[in-house]
Amino acid sequence: MATGASLTDGGASPLRSAVGGTVPRIRLRGIRKRFGSVDALRGVDLELFPSECLGLVGDNAAGKSTLTKIISGTYIPDAGTIEIDGEVVRLTGPADARGRNIEMVFQDLSLCDHIDVVGNLFLGRERTRGPFLDRARMLAEGRQMLDALEIRIPKLTTRVAQLSGGQRQAIAIARAASFRPKVLIMDEPTSALAVAEVEAVLHLINRVKASGVSVILITHRLQDLFRVCDRIAVMYEGTKVAERAIENTDLEDLVKLIVGQGTLQ
Amino acid sequence: MTEYAERRQGPDIADFLIDNAQVLSIAVFFVACTIFFSASADYFLTVGNILNILRQAAPLLIVATAMTFVIVTAGIDLSVGSLIALINAVAAIALAAGLPWPLVVLAMFALGGLIGLAQGWFIAYQDVPAFIVTLAGLSILRGVALYLTKGYSIPISGVPGFLAIGRATVYGIPLPAIIAAAVALVGYVAIGRTKYGRQVVAVGSNAEAARRVGMPARWIVASVYIVSGVCAALAGIMLAARLGSGSSNAAVGFELQAIAAVVLGGTSLMGGRGTILGTILGTLTIAVIGNGLILMHISPFFTQIVTGAIILAAIWINTRIFSTRFRLKQRKEG
Repeated sequence: MATGASLTDGGASPLRSAVGGTVPRIRLRGIRKRFGSVDALRGVDLELFPSECLGLVGDNAAGKSTLTKIISGTYIPDAGTIEIDGEVVRLTGPADARGRNIEMVFQDLSLCDHIDVVGNLFLGRERTRGPFLDRARMLAEGRQMLDALEIRIPKLTTRVAQLSGGQRQAIAIARAASFRPKVLIMDEPTSALAVAEVEAVLHLINRVKASGVSVILITHRLQDLFRVCDRIAVMYEGTKVAERAIENTDLEDLVKLIVGQGTLQ
Repeated sequence: MTEYAERRQGPDIADFLIDNAQVLSIAVFFVACTIFFSASADYFLTVGNILNILRQAAPLLIVATAMTFVIVTAGIDLSVGSLIALINAVAAIALAAGLPWPLVVLAMFALGGLIGLAQGWFIAYQDVPAFIVTLAGLSILRGVALYLTKGYSIPISGVPGFLAIGRATVYGIPLPAIIAAAVALVGYVAIGRTKYGRQVVAVGSNAEAARRVGMPARWIVASVYIVSGVCAALAGIMLAARLGSGSSNAAVGFELQAIAAVVLGGTSLMGGRGTILGTILGTLTIAVIGNGLILMHISPFFTQIVTGAIILAAIWINTRIFSTRFRLKQRKEG
């Protein structure tokens, strides 16, 4: 496992994905971001193709979250360009990114515990009749949303606080997916879940992917990557140090890349 | 946890009991108080006294309904008692100056709403804690009322239309009670069945989530203080009309009664969870205790002690027994 080779992978000639040749849905070029004296991102290139799941791994403070926050419009990069479907854009904020069909499922779950399942699915875009909530319509459409992703929740009027972690995560993903995103960014969607729940969420990611959505998955659970990802990008100290097609890597390889091979030699 | 996909559905009644445990417990407590006073005080369970209780409770119910919205957003409004005093004073002065009473009533609603907007602006847009902003409001508004009236109470007379707001009856039922019931009904429908109510609950439950899905979170927080201001104005008008005078010393400690009524009803001070039905029962419980102790000829000073002790006991029982499961769950997630 030669250090030099792996580093050039992440450099000038990034790996083509299985759907190579098509215009990338998102292309980042030389993205830089500083926070005071901290160089959070030191020139990152990244491409994301339709119907592809890209795993983003790296140690804490490697820059994964900063990078996804730049894609989701939360941070404005100091330098570098963002292309969406081949067109250079300048994201002005999260609302702008959402307007361009980039959705994010947050680590801390953006659900309201005191509101029922259907209320959370339609949070912020309630179906109404005059000033009143149209509950019947939301229940019917909410059931369709969950059925489309094969999420099984028996009763849509259950308060979210009473659900398991996996069910809550599934609702958060279903809500994001129902905004018809082109890109869905998931930050640690499985980190707090039990085994069977992780399975369910991974199946869910595969179904979202199959519907044409590009998925970026941040996770510390490396074994999950091999279940859903097509490609994996490894971040280290604010740079992308490697990119691997999933069939060309294994767990051991990834661990070495993440901890930084310099220290292992 | 492994039953993720196959979680079996329990009986609906179990969910109902968990969701409504606190309302049920305050209902039981209310019935117990009623039975106790019926047995202890001869006059308690008479039509005259019941109508009296309803008339007395009306301003509190109006303010407590609005306070439920405020507390559901995890806020608090300590200024309502002082605002009632200010409305009392300003309305009495305006009526004494000869302004037509319907205009005065509308102007008082506008004044209450504007004061609510000002407090809401500091809370929602300037991120000053609601406790601090409305504590300042409590002091400032009472001060303005005292300054305007020089501490005197200003009589209101010769405006039967205005006085009727506090004194009239419709088919024997006091008009204040009817107005208060209408306000509570609007509040009940608004919080559970309208988009606005959903937004209020969402902001109180998880403000960050509400913001991320594109709700106007700051405006929603500011709006509940406008609602609270308008409702306090209505209560102030009602009190002034009932007593036939505008006093800057009116409604001292009223904010604490309103908060007690809301919390007795099972609304969480942490936000997100609240019921108007509980607030109605909480208000009636406080009104019944106050009335019943007077009828039992217990010293009015002692009444305050008993009221406070009963509120503490009721909420203590509520948190220890009826909502154990809910609290455990919350703690785990926190």
